[in-house]
Amino acid sequence: MPRRMLLVPLLWICAVGLRAQDLSSIEIHGFATQGFLYSSHNNYLSMQSSSGSLQWTDGAVSVTDSLTDNLRVGIQLHMYQLGELGGPNIQVDWASGDYSVNDHFGFRGGKVKTPLGLFNDSQDVDAIFLWILLPQSCYPVDNKSFYLSHVGGEVYGNLSLGSRAGKVQYRGYAGQVYLDLTGGYLKESADNGLIFTSAPGGKVYGGDLRWQAPLKGLILGSSALVQAVDGKGPEGTDHVSPFFVNAHYAQFEKGKFYFAGEYRRSPLNVILTLGPAVIPIPLDNRSWFAMGSYRLAKRFQVGAYYSHYVNKALDTNLPENYSKDWVVSGRYDFNSYFYGKIEGHFLHGTGLGYFQTTNPNGVNPNSNMLAAKIGFSF
Amino acid sequence: MSPTRCLILLLAFIPCWSAASAQDVILVANKSVRITEIRDADLRAIFTGEKTRFADGSHAVPVTLKGGPAHEVFLRNHLGENPEEFRARWRQAVFTGQGAMPRAFDSEAALIEYVAVTSGALGYVSRVSTRDDVKYLPVTKR
Repeated sequence: MPRRMLLVPLLWICAVGLRAQDLSSIEIHGFATQGFLYSSHNNYLSMQSSSGSLQWTDGAVSVTDSLTDNLRVGIQLHMYQLGELGGPNIQVDWASGDYSVNDHFGFRGGKVKTPLGLFNDSQDVDAIFLWILLPQSCYPVDNKSFYLSHVGGEVYGNLSLGSRAGKVQYRGYAGQVYLDLTGGYLKESADNGLIFTSAPGGKVYGGDLRWQAPLKGLILGSSALVQAVDGKGPEGTDHVSPFFVNAHYAQFEKGKFYFAGEYRRSPLNVILTLGPAVIPIPLDNRSWFAMGSYRLAKRFQVGAYYSHYVNKALDTNLPENYSKDWVVSGRYDFNSYFYGKIEGHFLHGTGLGYFQTTNPNGVNPNSNMLAAKIGFSF
Repeated sequence: MSPTRCLILLLAFIPCWSAASAQDVILVANKSVRITEIRDADLRAIFTGEKTRFADGSHAVPVTLKGGPAHEVFLRNHLGENPEEFRARWRQAVFTGQGAMPRAFDSEAALIEYVAVTSGALGYVSRVSTRDDVKYLPVTKR
């Protein structure tokens, strides 16, 4: 069955490719990556990383067509395998119609990526980053579907504030979120005995405002999001009342240097109901990171970041309620299409990225990890 | 090409040459483009996807070369980026559903050919061609 599921979009893409001979405005792009993790202790991200694991593959194909000067339509199909997460099933990453009235106002409808912080909507696009893993405090790769995209609409635009005040880019949206049935949040629920057969989800609305300051290369911004999640399985329910997430960020680029930082807070109460038992899980997630990089040569970039997560709702002295990660990274672009990356992680705390089923004997509070990745993008 | 046309072309490029370095590229546009010069800030905004229109409100279609010295000079002088940064910027737009990558050409001849027949098209070449079915735009810094 999975092979059959692969065939359908493949045939569809081929069909679009054939039509492209007549419709020259159609664009097809894609990427594929293969990752490797090796950790000194613990199995990270549901992979058997303590023995060295290659079980991390990612790929996507996007097709866009500009129907008129103002209207563009497109779809991106995405497939990933990250340890026990993801799988051979192809997901619609985004699929939207985009109408730009002018440079100050436009709107998109369909399944659209959700802007939150610096990288939320682009976190899947490995080819644009130096890092193999983005700061997991803000962009957990095993749990990205929680905020990644929504089915609904978005308005966007750019406003000039004058030559001395820079520009503002705004985005506002509303819709419905559906969690990934093969993602980390549902795996964690399943580990606790609550299995979902249909994707939990809820309403979401929010916005993002980023200011391109008059100082060239400086961007400051804030995002806000309100979301609820409800799910029902044969054994029980999962309920998260509407909660407020706010993120504030800065980015500065000058010459070969790049610096960025972000702070995010998301307080929420998860209530799991398993038969007669009601299990409250209080979370007050405080996350931040600071990163910097330098381009040593035209094709070679190095950098480092520190990522910090703590759940303030519980005892912050316990390793399971925090995660601190020091990271050094390097990237080499072989040509316009192929690149390779290598990264070292020095992890303290177990608050992020670990699953019971892949660590049946418990977890060590500290672990070091080597990550490597090769990628192709066109 | 008549001597008068050559003189007009030469005069049209004086601001361009004074505004940018002698090593700079020359902007080439479809004849439907109504503007007669382009601000450097607008040029950058169009090629980074921040703007999709010229100053007069008409639709802009940026096109690029796939690589080579002219491509690198254009990116460095007008966008302040190298080819890797430029590619990353557009990959981000494409793979998040927020934009369509500018069409890229292997040669200047192919780029000019496309610009000549595409309404709103704007690209760059290393030297002025003898073709008269495209127009050349000077860049201003104001």
